[in-house]
Amino acid sequence: MFKNFLKKPIGFKLSALWLFAVLFITVTYDLFPFAQWDAISDFSQGDGPFKVPGHILGTSYDGMDMFTATMHGARMSTFVAVVSVIIGGGIGSGLGIAAAYYRGTFDKVMSSIFNMILAIPNLVMSLALISVLANGNSNEPASDFRRVLVLTISLTIVIIPILGRIARSSTLQWSSREFVLASKSIGTKNLEIIRRHIIPNVAPAILAIGFFAVGVVMIAEGSLSILGIGVPGGASWGSLLAIGRANLEYSPHEVYIPVACIGFTVISTNYFGDYIRANLDKRESKI
Amino acid sequence: MNLGGALETFKYIFQRVFIALVVVSGATFLLSLLIQLLPGDPAVMAVPNAMPDRVALMRKDMGLDRGVLGFFWKWYTDMWQGNFGNQYSNNDTISVTVLLKRALPTTLLIILYVQIVALVVSVPLGLISAYREGSRFDRYLQTTLFSLSSIPSFALALILVLICAVRFDWFPVLGYVSPTENFGEHLKGMVLPVLSLAVGITASYTRLLRTDVIATLKDDYIMMANSKGISKSRVLWRHVLRASSTTLLTSAALNMGGLVGGTIITEILFNLPGLGYQIAFAIASRQVISLMSFIAVTAAFYVFFNTMVDVIANIVDPRTRERRV
Amino acid sequence: MSKVLEVTDLSITFDTPRGNLRAVNDATITLDQGESIGVVGESGSGKTVLSRAIMGLLPGTATRTGSIKYMGKEISNLPEKELRELWGTGMAMIFQDPMTTLNPVRRIGAQLTESLTVRLKLSKKEAHEQAIELLRRVRIADPEGMMRKFPYQLSGGMRQRIMIAIAVSCKPELLFADEPTTALDVTVQAQVLELLSELRKEFNMAMILVTHDLGVVAGHTDKIAVMYAGDVVEMAPTRELFKNMKMPYTEALLKSIPRLETPTGTRLPVIEGRLPDPTKNEPGCPFANRCPYVADKCRAEKPPLKDTGTGHLYRCWFPIGGEK
Repeated sequence: MFKNFLKKPIGFKLSALWLFAVLFITVTYDLFPFAQWDAISDFSQGDGPFKVPGHILGTSYDGMDMFTATMHGARMSTFVAVVSVIIGGGIGSGLGIAAAYYRGTFDKVMSSIFNMILAIPNLVMSLALISVLANGNSNEPASDFRRVLVLTISLTIVIIPILGRIARSSTLQWSSREFVLASKSIGTKNLEIIRRHIIPNVAPAILAIGFFAVGVVMIAEGSLSILGIGVPGGASWGSLLAIGRANLEYSPHEVYIPVACIGFTVISTNYFGDYIRANLDKRESKI
Repeated sequence: MNLGGALETFKYIFQRVFIALVVVSGATFLLSLLIQLLPGDPAVMAVPNAMPDRVALMRKDMGLDRGVLGFFWKWYTDMWQGNFGNQYSNNDTISVTVLLKRALPTTLLIILYVQIVALVVSVPLGLISAYREGSRFDRYLQTTLFSLSSIPSFALALILVLICAVRFDWFPVLGYVSPTENFGEHLKGMVLPVLSLAVGITASYTRLLRTDVIATLKDDYIMMANSKGISKSRVLWRHVLRASSTTLLTSAALNMGGLVGGTIITEILFNLPGLGYQIAFAIASRQVISLMSFIAVTAAFYVFFNTMVDVIANIVDPRTRERRV
Repeated sequence: MSKVLEVTDLSITFDTPRGNLRAVNDATITLDQGESIGVVGESGSGKTVLSRAIMGLLPGTATRTGSIKYMGKEISNLPEKELRELWGTGMAMIFQDPMTTLNPVRRIGAQLTESLTVRLKLSKKEAHEQAIELLRRVRIADPEGMMRKFPYQLSGGMRQRIMIAIAVSCKPELLFADEPTTALDVTVQAQVLELLSELRKEFNMAMILVTHDLGVVAGHTDKIAVMYAGDVVEMAPTRELFKNMKMPYTEALLKSIPRLETPTGTRLPVIEGRLPDPTKNEPGCPFANRCPYVADKCRAEKPPLKDTGTGHLYRCWFPIGGEK
């Protein structure tokens, strides 16, 4: 497997390494003896990377260690992205596959709901959901936990129709193939056909769009933070970015470190999405 | 065009517009349900320390006293008459329609500039890249474009601000000058925001056009056109680009809708008083009704552009008609 | 009579990932003014490549050696720009699939008048009139209406007539027809072939008719070249070829055409086996493995092209009916 990996193009290697590193830190963050990520340094405020010993990536204008904060931010950003894509993708694909397989009224209702949600640009959609669900009222502002929860739910809702539509069109294409009809004709149960014939064929297309969706969520998370309704207090990359923006002139690294992290992650996930899709096209053309 | 064809086209346009109306109305209805889901009272949230009689007045004004469906119906029918509700502050009530009239031109101008820049750059790049498929130029360009198309526009915006405004003071970052006031200054202020949005879009247009032209160049009718002995450039403009441009234009128009959403962050980062700016303000001051109206307008624009694309593509590109037959 | 086309020792190889693919080996063909030749062979025999190579329409991965003279002038080494001057007005081509060779987004009128305005420098009005005349000539019922149509509105036979009209619009000296009837219904095939023959005689064009169907060329060409695995294996005047067939391959081709007099239910003879791998250069006659008359010598040594002296050439050690 490792030999196979070495044969891949350079973009593949870099993307895989980056995503692996991000996931690794997300999972193991607690095991490291890092300082409290939001601890404030008394000696260093707003110093750039590689300038102060003990702060590899420098400190924020408020004296927060950027390295630790970035590691910690990776965890929240990845959590929000992965959870919303997995849950939203799961629900969306399920609905899409069912709609395309059973057709009829259910299909009509599902695809028009998908279209209605997709009619609202995804950023605007998540914005609407969050501003309604996470606002609380002015006397008792929503708790941090609730805001993260609402953010994740909102992004999940944004993902559902994106993957739903892909799953639907892909299923439509496969469910009219001969082997599905053949299987039907010998009396195989519908669920069995979906499990055995549809899902394995539709999965690669869904996976490809799933990777793109992770990028979409990452960008949305960053955008929502800039709008001031993302994850609060610098706990994610987007949130760090939003805080850093105020200090752009004094400590620009506060902005470009999280920007680079989001950028690399989106490029990597898009790369994988593209890679899977290209291989898919190759397979299609061979049939 | 014969009469049957014209009738067919008319029927198609009617169908598409009808579907668009249904989608927008449906989206509006979903939004109105969302407002009702709100844990607090929108009126109280908009003006937290309002007297009870003003709250009652605002509730009536918003239609919150009419129940779930009644609220939707009032909001929906009002919007058709050009009344998008009000924004409330401690001692003032501003019509959202007025705000929209102020904000929309800015947003539409940004989108227009972005599209112009993106198309002007991507058409030659895409063509050259396609004609030199597999060359070193093509390979480097593809890698660059891929990375550029993946970078979020806000990341680019922040980097541009950092380099061009903070470090070198090349372009002003704050403030918006309307084009009627001083066109030169207006353009100068637009450079960075437009650039931050256009880079990613240009990259994706170029990739799209390249793929399409490569496919078109392999089509038999291009060999046929060549065999007529007409010049290479005539083959390119009359045959290749004519066939490939529909894909590009379709995606350009689809992007119009996406850009309506995409400008929000850019407007906030660059302090441009457009629709996105209004949306952000509505969120910050908890103006739920006006926020929903803004979102409904955005959605309407999005659907409108998409429908227009389908209809125009249908009229311009006979291949789509062929598919329907 | 002057020679329109003289092809001498033309070879074409393609540079493919699997190695060099030899598509045509040392082909030699001459054509007089107004003369027509049928190039016959199964798919993969190199007949389409041959016709495109003569015209200069091959992709960049192809290497071409040998000489091609058009009207006495060497054109195999002309730069593409000068070659384009010849296309359309000197040499024109009708392609195999009329469904894909018309530009789907342009009207028939625009595609038909393009050559006339750009190549013959006619005015718009003249070009329009000429186009109408051409459409009438290829028996389109409503030429005015046809000018405004898009390709998707037409049937395959109609499209092929338009293709023919476009190809002959500048009255070329030499017309290539690459499987012009393969994609059409049987009934339409005959009409299109008849039309081609008529136009050829009327404009005194030389024609290269490429087909896999020996029956197609029988009534419409002056001579026939049979190709197998990139080689011209037999070439003769049409009448002579059918009367005095020398190559076992030509015989096999002829036998695989269904005939009216064969009783129903008879199995059509097929040529067993497949073409040899064109990327490998194996010794012996390329047809040896499929030949019913194969002998040891065939597997050891490739036969040369022999001339009987009457314009009948063949490439076989043991021709049908013996030498001579």
